[in-house]
Amino acid sequence: MTRRLVSALALLGALLLGVAVLAIFLGSARLSPLTVLRVLGGGAGAESTEHVVVLGLRLPRIAAAVLAGGALAVAGVGFQGLTRNPLAEPSVLGVSAGAAFGVVVGQLAGGSGAVFDAVRVAAFGFGGALVAGAAVYLIASVHGAFPIQTLLLAGVIVGIFFGSAVTVLISLVDIDRLGGVVHWLLGNIAPLPARSLLVFACLAALGFAAIVSQARELNVLALGEEAARQLGINAERVKAQIFVAAALLTSSVVAFAGPIGFVGLIVPHMLRLLLGPDNRLLVPTAMVGGGTFLLIADTIARNAVAPAELSVGIITSFFGAPFFVYLLRTRRGVL
Amino acid sequence: MPGRTAATVSLAVALVLAAAPAGALTVVDMLGREVRLPGPPRRIVSLVPSATELIYALGGEDRLVGRTDFCDYPPAAKEKPSVGGMISPSLETIATLKPDVVIATTSGNRLETFTRLEQLGIPVYAVHAHRIAEMLDVTRRLAELTGRQAALTPLFAGIERRLFAVANAVRPYPRPRVLYVLWPEPLLVPASGALLTELITLAGGDSITANERGDYPRFSIEAAVVRAPEVILLASHGSNSAPPIAKDKWERLASLPAVKSKRVHAIDGSLAHRYGPRVVDGVEALARAIHPEAFR
Repeated sequence: MTRRLVSALALLGALLLGVAVLAIFLGSARLSPLTVLRVLGGGAGAESTEHVVVLGLRLPRIAAAVLAGGALAVAGVGFQGLTRNPLAEPSVLGVSAGAAFGVVVGQLAGGSGAVFDAVRVAAFGFGGALVAGAAVYLIASVHGAFPIQTLLLAGVIVGIFFGSAVTVLISLVDIDRLGGVVHWLLGNIAPLPARSLLVFACLAALGFAAIVSQARELNVLALGEEAARQLGINAERVKAQIFVAAALLTSSVVAFAGPIGFVGLIVPHMLRLLLGPDNRLLVPTAMVGGGTFLLIADTIARNAVAPAELSVGIITSFFGAPFFVYLLRTRRGVL
Repeated sequence: MPGRTAATVSLAVALVLAAAPAGALTVVDMLGREVRLPGPPRRIVSLVPSATELIYALGGEDRLVGRTDFCDYPPAAKEKPSVGGMISPSLETIATLKPDVVIATTSGNRLETFTRLEQLGIPVYAVHAHRIAEMLDVTRRLAELTGRQAALTPLFAGIERRLFAVANAVRPYPRPRVLYVLWPEPLLVPASGALLTELITLAGGDSITANERGDYPRFSIEAAVVRAPEVILLASHGSNSAPPIAKDKWERLASLPAVKSKRVHAIDGSLAHRYGPRVVDGVEALARAIHPEAFR
């Protein structure tokens, strides 16, 4: 197991590095590869345009994309293990929408012209994610199980509810902001300042640790709660921990990048095809694989229509929605 | 350049003043649709904050019987009954106000509102403006609808005089490259279709996003940095729940001439984002932010 994990991580890590190198050379600023190399080698003044573009914009944006993608993919693995349902994912479950509502409330609570307070906004997002997740849990649970139809329907309903709650809130408070918020709701990776990146990384690490430490228990849970109980596992406690951690991961991504869909669906499934269902392999590789996937999507979003930009959430949904349909059709017998 | 833009505005004013008033019963709105009115409208509902401001500026508010929640200027407008928001106004409330005509816009109201009102037999008159010349056209049309043509000449004269004053004040100075940030995250900027782009030109600046497609597109920060803006203007959004204007985010981009010379300014978006009479205040505010040296 350990050897497979190490080799899978090494392979995915190399892929991530390759994509990151590509991403730092690409951008609407059209810097030559030599210029980029010179900046990376420290050969450009801190106040030069090249320095600002490469180290001030591209590098923090790459870091944010990798963090967000990793967090979403791990949250996906967590929700899928928790509900024993392969289609569970932060945006499908409506948890992203709940977090988005919380984030908007947090921003409005900030008062006039206040500096973007990363921690406060993330905390509100976390609250929203917990409420939305708990609502889906209560609506969808039938004798402790989550049949696919009720789970998806509950997720869709809760997602629609919180999505419209955001619009209602903005329309009531300040219609001038609606345009900006609508763009934000599509999901966008931004070059975050170092302080925000640090907060983001800490939250992601916390969520990741909470889920990876329960990977073995998640494997046992997959056999059913009766089996878990016989093996001495406190299923309720494990499930609560996974739920809170996945909500934390989701809400941190929403707070720093907006609601981005389908990463938590596509990446875990790709990895399951390659590595099998063992969560001890899936959770760590999802962190790296998710980062790689979202970085590719964001590099497309940055460059496809330069100097304009696309929302990265549009790119992930463009790939994710057909993938979702594919899973729904092919896995029907299993679900 | 500034002389030429001022001349363009002047020409537009002259053309608009010279245009003959439309017929009393059938008028053509700005979408080119024929709108049949029973007679000169005595009861008007405005679903457009800019139009509400213009009706007050023309002194035609006696005929205004309804407005939206967002028609908050002039303050007196808030005393008129509201029919709700711009996106989904209450059709019932509009109907009970028995308007002879409803003023609506294609950017902000929904097509569904247009069709529902017409099904109820309430005429809808559409307005829109992406240029100052079009704003003057909206003004002229509203003057006709409210029977306030007499107020046009002094109103236009005032607008023209103030725009000329700005043009004269900024003319001696070189035109800096301006980045106007409509929304910081994701970055939204005014492009070729935006009224703001023309206002920035009138205020003596060169918008670095003037030639992009659309009205208010998303834009790459990288591309903005490479175009080295000398002035950055961060729009605040009206009410006291203004979003973070993220000044610190721009100040971290040390290579920008605007940052080096400390010319990153907040600007009141409610002045420049609506095509009402306060657009002139918007041009003056923009000019003061872009050329503080001209107003000492």
